[in-house]
Amino acid sequence: MVENARSINIVASILLAIGILYIVGPLYLTLSTASQSYEYILTNGLAWVPGTELFTNMAKVIHDTRIPVQMLNSMIVAFSNALATCALSFLSAYAIVYFRIRWAGVVFALILATIMLPLDIRVITTYQVASNIFSPLNAVLDVTGLNALTANMFGAPVHLELSVLNTHFGLVAPLVAHGTGTFLFRQFFLTLPKDLFKAARMDGAGPIRFLIDILLPLARPSVASLFVLTFLSGWTQYLWPLVGASTPDMQTAVVGLARLVPDSDGQVPDFPMIMAGAVLVSLVPLTMIALLQRFLVQGLVLSEK
Amino acid sequence: MTAIDTAIRATAADIELIGVTKAYDAKTTVIPPINVALRPGEFTVVLGPSGCGKSTLLQMIAGLERVSGGKIVIGGREVQDLEPKHRGCAMVFQNYALYPHMTVAENMAYSLKVAGVSKADRAQRVGVVAKMVGLADFLPRKPGQLSGGQRQRVAIGRAIIREPGVLLFDEPLSNLDAQLRHDMRVELADLHRRIGATSVFVTHDQVEAMTLADRILILNKGLIEQFDTPKAIYHHPASVFVAKFIGAPPMNILAVTGDGSALRLADGQVVANYADKGSFQLGIRPEDIAVNAGGSIKAEIRYREDLGSHEILETNIADQNLRITMPFGAEIDTEQTLSLSFPRARLHLFDSETGRAIHNAFDDAKTAPTFVKEYQ
Repeated sequence: MVENARSINIVASILLAIGILYIVGPLYLTLSTASQSYEYILTNGLAWVPGTELFTNMAKVIHDTRIPVQMLNSMIVAFSNALATCALSFLSAYAIVYFRIRWAGVVFALILATIMLPLDIRVITTYQVASNIFSPLNAVLDVTGLNALTANMFGAPVHLELSVLNTHFGLVAPLVAHGTGTFLFRQFFLTLPKDLFKAARMDGAGPIRFLIDILLPLARPSVASLFVLTFLSGWTQYLWPLVGASTPDMQTAVVGLARLVPDSDGQVPDFPMIMAGAVLVSLVPLTMIALLQRFLVQGLVLSEK
Repeated sequence: MTAIDTAIRATAADIELIGVTKAYDAKTTVIPPINVALRPGEFTVVLGPSGCGKSTLLQMIAGLERVSGGKIVIGGREVQDLEPKHRGCAMVFQNYALYPHMTVAENMAYSLKVAGVSKADRAQRVGVVAKMVGLADFLPRKPGQLSGGQRQRVAIGRAIIREPGVLLFDEPLSNLDAQLRHDMRVELADLHRRIGATSVFVTHDQVEAMTLADRILILNKGLIEQFDTPKAIYHHPASVFVAKFIGAPPMNILAVTGDGSALRLADGQVVANYADKGSFQLGIRPEDIAVNAGGSIKAEIRYREDLGSHEILETNIADQNLRITMPFGAEIDTEQTLSLSFPRARLHLFDSETGRAIHNAFDDAKTAPTFVKEYQ
């Protein structure tokens, strides 16, 4: 029920104002700090007033740190993550909705289960697998006794090794397998007339043709929103890039930002430069949100349903 | 119009189903072996209650469902293992199933595009078909901007553009309102006459079946109850199921016993003379009963329904329900007991166990009663 009482309006406005202050305050501090000099921070502490050093600080970030390379890494990771997630979810939802697959329900349930097991929970096992992507295969060979057999016959057990740590592929792959996209597309496909697939078959279009000519154009808004959502989440990932990449040249921008704080004690970090870096790194997702806001909202609504 | 009439004209193909069955697993058989032959250019309506397997049958002909056994022969070719596009069929769906992102023209031309027909030829064919289905002014629109009837026309246009030998309709009119349904029925009949494709039309609406069909195939639980012209089905139903399914209100079915000379109701009233003994089911249409014309059968009125053009009396006869249709203006006192007579020529007799009709039972030329041939 919507009340029109004045007192409620005032209370609501105050609450909202507090909320806005809570969110905008740190952003303001970031910007104002980024525009002051290191010396100002050393003498005055928190920068409550904006200064004039913003571009000097940004130039410092670009010339003196690895942030530009790391932003490129972030770009590659976020973009491939978004692209691969869209492709994978689209195809898996297509298979689940339009084909009679044995155990389709079970498969879908397993895919959904990944939503409840975020990367943060399985980061250790993911690291183990990434350090040798054949380790699951090796384990299977060990457990089934096949390795004992090969050891007997050929003198040595099979042991394959390939590490994808510190590669772009290694950074992207664990992020891609995620059920949200499949769920989103499945929900969307279910809203389409169910005879569409049959009509296309009568018109002579096979499954691939149907996918390209009918399904993809219809799903374009959903694909766009999933792309934006996964791009943003790929860009802001922290834990996995921190673990999965060990050299500064492979790290992503968000990890790189955190690394700008010096490890040694007693030294005051160059906060203006770090904040300028933070502003730079936020520019990409901010631009994206500004331009593709429509799809973002649509995607959030779809995944809520 | 004459140029258009000749532009889209299909070479009608005959369809033969030989022992076609459909079973999803060992327990659920949707369609037991079915044998039926449809003549080239014939308009067949498959009629039955929901769940009788009529849509499955249609989809098996189309190639959207695999057959579990048997052969489907279209135009002399065995097609049961072919993909839909190689069978020469086109289909109109119940919910239209138009491609929402394509314009009317693109929707209709899609099958030609898939088949690799050149752009110029496609545009020319779309023009012809659009005129035929009355959509020439709507070609650049999207389906979302059209009314239900117009969408249905697009679906029909999309089906006929390839000049298929066989046109399949899956309850295409059930989403339309009553007036539109009537108009589309007339248009469909006209289109069928002009295109000449063999048409199979699935519906549960007996009015559509009676008005459109050359022959009606009545399905019940996957079995063919009767396959005949609308007239024959109305006047000579082959079973109790058909008798009750066709006609509004449906035919009255009364349980009677033959004592060797007459058929009697449970309360002993004689309804007709008949020489055989045993229990039977007697059928008579509500409009065939003669009221207060010196008849000897007594019935009590329970309820009276005035429909303007005629009225329907619900009466009670030997504890069974009997419906009578009366022409408008008939003087009937609701309190009154009616005296009825059942014209002999209008009676139908059915075996009480199998429900199949016993033909010529009341033929006074004394031809021996014959059982109607069963399809299975």
